[in-house]
Amino acid sequence: MPRSLRSTATRVVSAALVAATALTLSGCGGSSSGSSSNGVTTISFWDNNGGPTRTPYYQELIKRFEAANPSIKVDYLGLPADSVQQKYDTAIAGGGTPDIGGVQQSYVAGLIARNALEPIDDVADSATLKGNIDPKVLDTIRSTASDKKLYMLPVSVNLDILWYRSDEFAAKKLTPPNTWDDFFTAAQALTDPAANTFGFSIRGGAGGTQALLSIMYAYSGVQTSFDSSGKSTINDPKNVEAIEKIAALYGKETSKADVTNGYKEMSAEFDGGTAAMMVHNLGSYADHQKNLGAGKFAAEAMPAAPDGTRTLVANAPDGFAVFQASQHKAEAKKFLEFMLSKDSNSYWNQNVGQLPSNLQAQKDAWVQANPALKVGQTTLAASTTHIVDVPRYLPQYGSIVESQMGPKWQQVLLGKLSAKDFADQWADLTTKAQADWVAKHPG
Amino acid sequence: MTLTAPVPAPVRPAPTRRPRRRGWSPYLLIAPTVVLIAAFLLYPIGSVFYYSLQNYNVTQPYDDGFAGLANFRHMFTADPLFWQSLRTTVIWVVAQVVLQLLLGLLLALIVNERFKARGFVRALVFSPWAVSGVLATGIWVLLYNPTTGAAHALSLMGIGSGDTAVLSQPTSAFIAVIVAELWRGVPFFAILILADLQSVPADLYEAANTDGAGRWQRFRYVTLPHLRGAIVLTCLLRAVWEFNNVDLIYTMTGGGPANETTTLPLYVARQALTDFNFGYGSALTVVSFLILLVFSVVFLRVTKYNAGRD
Repeated sequence: MPRSLRSTATRVVSAALVAATALTLSGCGGSSSGSSSNGVTTISFWDNNGGPTRTPYYQELIKRFEAANPSIKVDYLGLPADSVQQKYDTAIAGGGTPDIGGVQQSYVAGLIARNALEPIDDVADSATLKGNIDPKVLDTIRSTASDKKLYMLPVSVNLDILWYRSDEFAAKKLTPPNTWDDFFTAAQALTDPAANTFGFSIRGGAGGTQALLSIMYAYSGVQTSFDSSGKSTINDPKNVEAIEKIAALYGKETSKADVTNGYKEMSAEFDGGTAAMMVHNLGSYADHQKNLGAGKFAAEAMPAAPDGTRTLVANAPDGFAVFQASQHKAEAKKFLEFMLSKDSNSYWNQNVGQLPSNLQAQKDAWVQANPALKVGQTTLAASTTHIVDVPRYLPQYGSIVESQMGPKWQQVLLGKLSAKDFADQWADLTTKAQADWVAKHPG
Repeated sequence: MTLTAPVPAPVRPAPTRRPRRRGWSPYLLIAPTVVLIAAFLLYPIGSVFYYSLQNYNVTQPYDDGFAGLANFRHMFTADPLFWQSLRTTVIWVVAQVVLQLLLGLLLALIVNERFKARGFVRALVFSPWAVSGVLATGIWVLLYNPTTGAAHALSLMGIGSGDTAVLSQPTSAFIAVIVAELWRGVPFFAILILADLQSVPADLYEAANTDGAGRWQRFRYVTLPHLRGAIVLTCLLRAVWEFNNVDLIYTMTGGGPANETTTLPLYVARQALTDFNFGYGSALTVVSFLILLVFSVVFLRVTKYNAGRD
């Protein structure tokens, strides 16, 4: 080959290689917001917990929505629950957020802080939904944002309850644990270390501090997260007493393995017969039903404080948010309204075993026939029930509760830290974060 | 009319080899590699150094900005978990490298001998190395599970109690993850040492035999000096690897209970994945990087790695 030709060829090949590399490197961007063509608008919808137990029902609802709205097409994308936050973070940084997405209130504050979400009060006030979404839950969601607007709408409502093995309670002639005295008596009566059976399962691992909050506020009856001076109530003497009493169960009325229990392990102990009681939300109903079958377990509201009030820590509801960068907000809101309408909300929750957020759907026969959901519904509706809104709007909330206090809760269980010091440290961090937040959000 | 002398024809310079014009071709040819290295190595490393000097927490965007050395000051003066995780990391690395070296050397010496079914035993010794990290973790988590695992089986035979939750007690959890990682890591040493063992010249052993050296002396004065280079390099590689090990501890204990098994890289991972505090996470990473850099240089100096090579 003549030299000139060869060097041209070399240059062409090198240029091609460079171009190919550049293309490979740039091939990871792109927006996922919807598009319009032929009069049909496509909106993107991310499910924050995709999988066989949820995806088919979303797909069915999308089919129904598209049939009723031929000019809108919904693109569904199911994301794994444990990496969905990262996916949203990357999408916000790269400008590729969906039009509408599934979110949990626990990380909504972070999304609001970055102006990623669109206020959707108008959807809650639409003809279909006005007055039909549980106002207590809407208040909890409003507390997430400093401007008190709604940035998400709940698809289900949830609350922590006390699950107990009704068969074992009956065998020992124990009454269902309606007060804390009942609870501690039952925990002791149902423990037999020789047979490897224990009265209670403590959640010491992932999610353990969140469960502890539920227990201590129910025990103490303290009704606010902060006192009038802005100080956290976590180290209120009654809360400290609750922590002490629960920690005292560890290794005696609970298995020693409980210090690292996440939901899976705790639920396995309960369903496997090692533990007779556990605290978790309504979401575990399906697991108990599958593993134990009807008649062996039951749900009871969290035991009441001595004065009879039932104090519940607001559960972070699961729901939907419309993204600020969306080009098709009207269509996204229409889809959202459809998803929360009575029929869709009832269909969805019946299939995933949750309590509908739509009050009309809550009246459906299938809810009334499910004993656990019925307990949840009556508890939420009762006038003696009080909801404590934990400060999920604090950007540091997740970090304080999970990463910082999680390991310290384990130290308390292992006897390496006193309940008082633990509660003081937790309260300090929360009080400081609150003061910082108030300073940055005047008014 | 004057006659002018004929002008001699200009002499053409003797044809010389024209310097070859390379132009941009070589640069274009190496450009893809340079671009890839820059994009996937230099840029990420540079950005870690950059973010270590920043406040960068995605949940608190209003605090983002230049932080100077504040992240490092907090780390050294106000973060007990940094020191605790560093201590745990050092114990972890020393335990892993020393035990893996001793056990790997022992196994390599055994499978280097001639005996029946040697091929099968070699395959067995090396098999853990072929098991993927996630699978290895899965196996050990099941083994340690108090209701289904080895502890449960032992308790059924009357040894120990069924309540023995190895991974939930601080001391036993750390020992348990060390054992699991040893299982996975020993074959690495064994493979590399065995490869080197097979290259020891037989005449050295013959000469040693002639000089009346016993088994131990042959090992001490022939085998070990020959293996020196392999051992030094393997130890260094392994130390860096074990320092950065996240997968096994993360999946088995998540750093718990009560942070007792939290190593430095695990702490970094948690800063990024659960706290979204990339600024502080980057600062921790920079410190880890510097520790490893200093360690590597000192290690190679002390072991005189280069001096021993031809």
